[in-house]
Amino acid sequence: MSKIARTAGKVLLGIVAAALSFFIVTFTIYFFNLDMKATAMLEPFFEKWYDKLERRQYI
Amino acid sequence: MKTVQKVVNPVRRAGEQSPAGIYDENLKVRKRREWRGVKDTFYDYTRWLYLVSVLAKFIAVPRNIKGFFRYRWMMSYLFVMHGMDKFTIGLRDEALRIAHTSFNFVIADVTQAIANCFRGDRRVGNDKKYSDACVITDENSMVTFMMGFDTNKVHTILREVPTMFASNIFHQFNVMHYLDIAQQYGIPGDVCPMPEAEAGISIEDDFCVLGSCAVQNNTTCDGSLMGNGIIAKRLEREYGIPTFQLATPLRHKEPDVLDYAAEEIKKAIAFVEEHTGVKWDWDIYFNAAKRVNDATRCRIAQMEINSTPYPQFFGAAFSLYNDTNYMGNSGRNADFVTIDHKLLELAEKGYQAKRMYAKEYRHRCIVWGVQPQYVIDMLYWMVQCWGVVPLTDMLSVINTDMIADEDTPENREQAYRDMAMLNMEMIMRNHTHGGYKVLLDDLWDLCEKMNADIVMMWEHMSCKALTGMHGMFEEQARERGIHIMWVSHDLCDPRVFTRQAIRDQVNSYMRTVMREEPLDPALEIIPDNEAY
Repeated sequence: MSKIARTAGKVLLGIVAAALSFFIVTFTIYFFNLDMKATAMLEPFFEKWYDKLERRQYI
Repeated sequence: MKTVQKVVNPVRRAGEQSPAGIYDENLKVRKRREWRGVKDTFYDYTRWLYLVSVLAKFIAVPRNIKGFFRYRWMMSYLFVMHGMDKFTIGLRDEALRIAHTSFNFVIADVTQAIANCFRGDRRVGNDKKYSDACVITDENSMVTFMMGFDTNKVHTILREVPTMFASNIFHQFNVMHYLDIAQQYGIPGDVCPMPEAEAGISIEDDFCVLGSCAVQNNTTCDGSLMGNGIIAKRLEREYGIPTFQLATPLRHKEPDVLDYAAEEIKKAIAFVEEHTGVKWDWDIYFNAAKRVNDATRCRIAQMEINSTPYPQFFGAAFSLYNDTNYMGNSGRNADFVTIDHKLLELAEKGYQAKRMYAKEYRHRCIVWGVQPQYVIDMLYWMVQCWGVVPLTDMLSVINTDMIADEDTPENREQAYRDMAMLNMEMIMRNHTHGGYKVLLDDLWDLCEKMNADIVMMWEHMSCKALTGMHGMFEEQARERGIHIMWVSHDLCDPRVFTRQAIRDQVNSYMRTVMREEPLDPALEIIPDNEAY
């Protein structure tokens, strides 16, 4: 097998491995709703942040 | 009493049979996503990836991060995918694709609206040139008076949509803070929480501040008028943004109000021209009018499919998409045309294949009254749990007449009347105001046309528009042999009616009056009261 073919094979394998890893990681996040669970954990910190901001209340 | 033929789905649903397994009372979001079989789960996953990309693109802009940390309501947008999950429970095949196509487009549109707000906002992007080309309008307002302005030169900013309306879809508790603020300042708690929350946002100084001018509309109720007053006062006196009051007749079925309404539209257009320096363009208007007519034709076709035993596009996604297209777009954005036709194509395909949302359809239902269905997965739940199909809802029953769309001297004068007609018959006003004919007679006509045997009447505790009609609904439903199921709620204040308290009213009616057992007993009680 020529050097070019071997390199092309490796690149292709790399692309497939990267795509597969991307799929496994993102699908796990998606299916177990890890994205929403993580943001739900962050919410109390954001609440505190917004409570601390000064507002000019006016009616 | 009227009965309808039961329709049984001969096809077993792919994946898990009940969506009940995705709820967890200890979590504010779903335990996991639904297993819909390989094909549909993969499709749902690709749409999730798409939404991730929309949000990633948004947050990659530094001024949007700044805006996120400035405005409390932005927190809701952390839960966009949770909102999407609410509108896809139990869905497969075309139904899943319809929900995603419509609602994903709405999400992308709202994301763009937030980005536009932040760009011009004096506290965030402070792009003065852009801000000077912006016109602020109400959340509950038709934007027909903007149809003839070049969208590259004048930007219509429906400021309350991303701030209050859409953010509440993703997070049911997000407006409670603003309701408390409004009530601290003496506004009574018995007005509609939607305008009250908007008033609270203004009092709290949590609206983006931008625009060369604003146009407000006397929308639909005491709450809206009260909220508009508070908001306009701050806009004009504190931020120097002149605000035009577009006074629209409420008795919109009376022909003698049309001339007055058309004059008001002319004045609104002149006001926008004066403050933005951009002139009305009839070519742009008539192109937009063609798109309005196209959207109307597509909506009529969708309703016709929903009149058959195999309805395809219904639920909160249908209502929200119509709301965005009819009121917020009004033919100005050509992208809606593509989506309209794609949705119709999907619905026709689903109809040909006799696709069903659940294993059985027992009842055909018209959803009427002021609805909270954006913060709860109610309409999808009804069909999954009880086999009650929500064929359409009051907010989706809007204009079906074609407007003049050819540029002639006569049609230019007619155009003002068309814009006025659309404006008077905007969502909510077209049925909550205008007398019993639009609220009652239209409902019974619809029951006839769509072969419905049940009306689910949303009874909004704080809405005065429908209160006096309760007895007439009862009496006339009885005369026609239509079941009428009252379901109380307080729109976006979940402290008054929780999600389960809302569902329990349907559960009680179905068990005690209809003497039926649920299609999916696992869904009768769902532990999602504390979920966003």
